[in-house]
Amino acid sequence: MSPGGRLWSERLRFDVRATLVICAALALVPLVVTGPYALGIILVSIYFAIIALAWNLLAGYAGQFSLAPAAFAMIGAYTTALLDHYGHVPLAIGIPAAVVSTALLGWVLGKLVLKLSGPYLSLTTLAFAEIARVVIGNSHEFTRGDQGMHVATLTQSRVAYYYIFLATLVAVVAVLYAMLRGRLGRFMTALRDDPVGASSRGIDVVRTKSIAFCVSCALCGLAGSLYGTFSQLVSPELGLLQQTGLVLAMVVIGGMSSLTGAVAGAILVYLSSEWMRGFGNVQIIVFALLVIVFARYLPGGLWGLVAGRLRGGPR
Amino acid sequence: MSLLTVDHLSVQFGGVAAVDDVSFDLRAGEILGLIGPNGSGKTTVLNLLSGFLAPRSGRVQMEGVDITGLAANQLAHRGVLRMFQMTRVFSRMSAFDNLLTAGLARGIDETESRRRADALIEELTLGPVRFLDAGQLSGGQRKLLEFGMCFIEPPRVAMLDEPFAAVHPVMRDVMAAFIRTRHAQGATFLLVSHDMPIVVDLCQRAVCMNAGKVIAAGDVHAVLKDHEVIEAYLGEPAEGDSTTGLELAGGDEGSR
Repeated sequence: MSPGGRLWSERLRFDVRATLVICAALALVPLVVTGPYALGIILVSIYFAIIALAWNLLAGYAGQFSLAPAAFAMIGAYTTALLDHYGHVPLAIGIPAAVVSTALLGWVLGKLVLKLSGPYLSLTTLAFAEIARVVIGNSHEFTRGDQGMHVATLTQSRVAYYYIFLATLVAVVAVLYAMLRGRLGRFMTALRDDPVGASSRGIDVVRTKSIAFCVSCALCGLAGSLYGTFSQLVSPELGLLQQTGLVLAMVVIGGMSSLTGAVAGAILVYLSSEWMRGFGNVQIIVFALLVIVFARYLPGGLWGLVAGRLRGGPR
Repeated sequence: MSLLTVDHLSVQFGGVAAVDDVSFDLRAGEILGLIGPNGSGKTTVLNLLSGFLAPRSGRVQMEGVDITGLAANQLAHRGVLRMFQMTRVFSRMSAFDNLLTAGLARGIDETESRRRADALIEELTLGPVRFLDAGQLSGGQRKLLEFGMCFIEPPRVAMLDEPFAAVHPVMRDVMAAFIRTRHAQGATFLLVSHDMPIVVDLCQRAVCMNAGKVIAAGDVHAVLKDHEVIEAYLGEPAEGDSTTGLELAGGDEGSR
């Protein structure tokens, strides 16, 4: 083991390199997998990987256990859909608008939960997520309720969409890496480890928390918006708590506080979930059990296990 | 010259006066001992001075500027730093990263923070655990690390809450030497400790609290000989008991 591997910057560099190896492998997938259904499934797993990375930033690095990632993906998707439906706003504006709207909402939510932590923070974000989903689902005249809304698409080519999602994933990884290796990443980690200690060293805990919420929610919004244009239909189902549960399982099984863990976890869990469809609706039971087992015996997740053997492990 | 002026500070918890009309001065360049029996309000005073608690009344001034009610991070940027009785380090970061992060948090650039972190690791004898996560360090090593985090940028005031409690004698000596060196360079300390010999050894003046009030203040030897202080620590003396403040301190005047 290189002793340098125990330093934050070294761990992060190792982590991002491993993530990019996974992305490179994903880039080769359309050469092997040519069926539209199978490619679509891997594409959706990349969508979940972006949300898992976003949630991991908030929960894994900053220690803020939000239960609203799926709700923010839904809000991002609806922002683009509503702008398209009512204003015929092109997607080149509709998708960035989703990022901005979810970033602003995330900032507001961050401010609301500023003094909350642990279960109180989680319960407040859960309440926010359910309120958002119910409001959208019940606003029939504005959002067409549970019927969902049609959205324009960027391209009809599934392969092109696949690479759009993959490019977005790489861009998100790059943004998170840039963020985590600087002051902000260290401050978020300090906030997670000891908020009182962080504050006493001069870290603005309020600002750090708000930025973490803002960026995480914006990334979820981006993923949701892109997914809406891919499926050409957005509905309140995008914001179901079950979707958030899936994201949590992806990160916990893959490895909290690690870029590779979130991406690998998302792909493995989603592909397994699709495979398990053949055995009935057992996915949630299996993943819930796995989350318990991992939280108890392997808190670093699969990536923690692999990285631990390779180089001392990320945190 | 007074660096920190604590002026009639009070705070209550559920009707109980945890700090009751406390006033004292911390002079620039001194080590002031804040002593008193358990539950006397010493840590609450530190919480008030370091921005973790707002007073019900009274104020705190630093060189004439009112700093009452400022948040902990704002006070840290003004050079008011604190060490905790139960150490507050970033457990999943290496010892080196803890120091580096503390430097960045104080607004020092990364290159300079790295240089200072290296120097402090050396000075605090933390070299062998440099790459270990802070959560894996012993209690004493964590205290040393917290010292380093406070001193990555020389503070105007360093408030130390029981730094020597449950620490191995070797590390205790490293800490005491660190305090002496920084004091010789002009650093100002407010030291909360139950360890009377070390208070006598390090402090010029002391403030003694009991039941939230200041019961004695002044020269450390005079405070430890004060009848009310001895009574606060040991209870009412029995008739004919000749316990003195120096016995309480476990040493004699010559130990300085």
